[in-house]
Amino acid sequence: MDELFTEAQRQLNICNACRFCEGYCAVFPALERRVVLGAGDITQLANLCHDCRACLQACMYAPPHEFAVNPPEILSRVRRASYDEYAHPGRWPAWLRGPAWLRVPAWPRGRGALATAATGVAAALVVIIALTGGIDALWSHHGPYQVISYPALLLIVLLPCAWSAAVMLRATAGYWHDTHGPLRDLADWHALRKALAYAASLRYLRGGGECAYPGENPSPARRRLHAAVFYGFAACSAATVSAAFMQDIMRIPPPYPPLSVPVITGTAGGLAMIAGCAGLAVLKRRTDPAPSAADYGLLIGLGLLALTGMLTLLLRDTPAYGLVLVTHLATIVVCFAVAPYTRFVHSVYRFLAIVADNIEAGR
Amino acid sequence: MGAGASPPGGGPWDVVVIGGGNAGLVAALSARRHARRVLIVERAPEPMRGGNTRHTRNVRCVHSRADGFTTGPYSFDELWRDLCGVGTGPGHEKLAELTVRESETVPAWMSGHGVRWQPPLAGTLHLGRTNHFFLGGGKALVNTYHRTAARMGIAVRYATTVDDLIMDGDRCTGLVTPDGAIRGRAFVAASGGFEANIGWLRRYWGDAADNYLIRGSRDNDGRVLAALYAHGAGRAGNERGFHAVAIDARSPRFDGGIATRLDSIPFGVVVNSHGRRFYDEGEEIWPKRYAIWGRNIAQQPGQIAYSIWDAKAAGLFLPPMYGPAQASSIAGLAVTLGIGGRAVAGTIAGFNASIRPGGTFDPGRLDDCATAGLTPPKSHWARPIDTPPYYGIAMRPGITFTYMGVAVTAQARVLRTDGTAFANVFAAGEIMSGNILSTGYLAGFGLTIGTVWGRIAGAEAARQARDG
Repeated sequence: MDELFTEAQRQLNICNACRFCEGYCAVFPALERRVVLGAGDITQLANLCHDCRACLQACMYAPPHEFAVNPPEILSRVRRASYDEYAHPGRWPAWLRGPAWLRVPAWPRGRGALATAATGVAAALVVIIALTGGIDALWSHHGPYQVISYPALLLIVLLPCAWSAAVMLRATAGYWHDTHGPLRDLADWHALRKALAYAASLRYLRGGGECAYPGENPSPARRRLHAAVFYGFAACSAATVSAAFMQDIMRIPPPYPPLSVPVITGTAGGLAMIAGCAGLAVLKRRTDPAPSAADYGLLIGLGLLALTGMLTLLLRDTPAYGLVLVTHLATIVVCFAVAPYTRFVHSVYRFLAIVADNIEAGR
Repeated sequence: MGAGASPPGGGPWDVVVIGGGNAGLVAALSARRHARRVLIVERAPEPMRGGNTRHTRNVRCVHSRADGFTTGPYSFDELWRDLCGVGTGPGHEKLAELTVRESETVPAWMSGHGVRWQPPLAGTLHLGRTNHFFLGGGKALVNTYHRTAARMGIAVRYATTVDDLIMDGDRCTGLVTPDGAIRGRAFVAASGGFEANIGWLRRYWGDAADNYLIRGSRDNDGRVLAALYAHGAGRAGNERGFHAVAIDARSPRFDGGIATRLDSIPFGVVVNSHGRRFYDEGEEIWPKRYAIWGRNIAQQPGQIAYSIWDAKAAGLFLPPMYGPAQASSIAGLAVTLGIGGRAVAGTIAGFNASIRPGGTFDPGRLDDCATAGLTPPKSHWARPIDTPPYYGIAMRPGITFTYMGVAVTAQARVLRTDGTAFANVFAAGEIMSGNILSTGYLAGFGLTIGTVWGRIAGAEAARQARDG
C-alpha cells in the first residue's frame, strides 16, 4: 500500500474508533462493517463518499487538531487515484496530448488537451466537408445534412462513443473485481434498482440533512445544481433520441419546429446544463482548499457541449449555422472520446459503489 | 464573529457568559430570550471552540415513550435509580432531582434550537433506549448552537481568556481579560472543570497526576473556578471527584477524546504492571461500568494497566484507534507490552482454570459465564483466553472532567462560603456538576446537567440583568 492509502487507513481507523458520523451517510456504516481495511475497501469507501463534507464540519479531530482527520479530502484523493487506475490506457503518447502551451494546466497526467483536440477535430471536419460537399456547404442553413452527410455524422459521433463505452466497461469490470468480487454479483436487480434511486436523488449528498458544501452552512445548492446538470444531460440525450425517432421512424426530416419534442427537451436540457455547470463552478471556487484546474475539466466540457448545442439551435437559420454545427460536433467527438479520462467516470464508480454497498448492507 | 469591549449602543452587556461549550451556549440562547445584549467569551480560537462538548455525543433524558431516536421509555424513577446507583449517589439531592425532572423537556428544547438527531446505530453502545444521540456528535451540536446564536444576535469573542472577576461586594461588575475588562450586568460561569491543570490535580493526587491523560480541552485549567473561590464562592463536590475512563496509553496528553477510549475490558482480563488482575472486568454491562475504569487504573502502580484478550473477542467492541499489540503466546504479548511474561502467563492460566464450565457467552446481556473461587472474580463474559493471536493494549486514566466546583442555588446562583449568594453570578455545566455528581458517572448525563443548568442560569441571569 502506498502513502496515500496508508494515510487514508490512519484517518479511517480514527473514524472507526469514534463513529460519531455514522448517521450522515453510507460511508461510516460501511466502515464499521470492516475490521481490516485493504486497498479495495478504501477505494470502495472513497467512491461511496459524495463529498458533502458534513463529517468534516462535525469532526473534532479535523485540523488544526493533531490527529488531522479530513475524510472528504483524503477520500477525494483516493477517488482521483482510482479514476486513473482503472481507465486504460493509463498514459497517452505525447503527440496526442498536444503542445504544452495549449494544454489545460494540471489536467490529470496532461491527458486533456481539450482545446487542442477540439480545434484539430474541427479543422479536420472543415477539410472533409470542403472536399466532399464543397466549401459552400459550410454556409448552408437548410438542416444538418446540407453541411455533413447523415452516415458521416453518425460515424464521427458513434466512434468516440463506442471507444468510451469499451474503456468504461473494462474499468467497471476492474473496479468491481478489486472492490467487491465476482462480476455476476452485479446482476442483483434489487440492489441495482435501489442504487439507481439513491444515485438519482443524490441521497448521500444530503449528509443526513443538507450538505455543508462549499462552506460550513448547510445548503441544498450543490444538490440542486448537480440535478440541473444530470437531468439536463438526460434531457439533451432524450432530444437526440427523439430527433432520431422523428427522422428515421416518422420520416420527418430536420429541422424541427420550436414546438417539437427535440427542440423543447434540447432547449430545457441545454439551459439546465449551462446553469448547473456555471453554478457548480462558482461553488467550487469557494471551496477550501482551492480546487485545481483538473477539478473544472468535466464542468467545462459539459458546459461547452450545452453551449455549442444551444448556439446550433439559435443560429440554425443564419449563415453561421454550418461553422457552429462543426464546432458542436467537434466538441461532442472530443468530449465523448476523453470522457473515461475525466471526472465523468465518477458517475460510473459512484453508482457501482452504491450497488456494492447495497449488497453488503443487505438493502 | 468578533465583538467589541462594549455591546452595540454602548454601556455594559446584559449577560456575559464565560465559556462556549454546551452549558455556555445554552445559557446564552436562554438568556437572549429575555435580554438584548448577550456575549459569549470563548477561550479557544474559532476552529477549536466548544470545550469538552466537542467530545460529547448524546444526552440522557427522561422520556415517556420511544420516539424514533430512542428505542423505548425511560422514566423519572429509572433515571433517578441509575443516578443513585453510580458512585456514592447524587451530591445534592434536591438539585439532582431538579436536574432529572427538567431533563424531560431537554430534547424538545434542543430540537427547537436547531439540533438534529440520529436513530440508534452500531456505534451507540447499547444506550439507544436511555440516551438521545445528536447527529454528528458534539462539534456538530456546537456548530448548530452557534448558527442559532448568530441568528439571534448573540455576540461571541473567541480566543479570550478570563483571568479574574471584578467584584464590588457581592456583585460582579466585569471580567478581566488580556484585552481589557468586559463589563456586564450579570454573568454566567460555564467554563468547565480544572482537569487540564495538572498542577491543581497534583494537590489531590500527588505524582500520580503526572500519569493522567486529559481527554478533553487543554483550556480547562480552572482559572475562573479558582477566581470564584478567591472571591469567596462555596465549594461543591469532592476534590478528587472526576469522570475518567480507560484510554490507550499512547494517546496525546490533551484532547484525545472518544477515539482513544478502549472498550475491550469486559471481553478479556486487565492486569497491572505486576501482571496481576485487580478488578472484576465483567461486573456490569459496559455502559454502566466503563466510567469506573479510569479511577481503577489511576489507583494502580504507575497509573497503568493492560487489557488482554484473544482471537475470540475480535470484533466485539469498537476497534482501537492505534491498533493492539499482538503475539502468538501470552508471554510473548506481555513482553511486547513491557510487563513480566511469567507473571501474566500465570495470571491467565489461573483465570482460565477458574472459569465455571457450561456458561453460554452472550455479550448483549449479563450472561452466566463467570469465574469461581477467583479473587477478584470476573462475574460475566468470562471465557478462557486460549485462542491465539493474543491482543493487548496499555491503558492510562483518561480524565474527562472534574466534579469539584462551585455550590449553587436552585436558580443556579453561585453561593458563597457564608451561605449567601452572589447577586449576579450564575454557574452551569461542569463547573457546578459537583452539586449533582459525587464520584460515579452516567453516560450522557454531563450534557443533561449542562443543558438543564444552562437554561436556568441563562434565564435567571437575564432576569437579574433586567431587574437589577
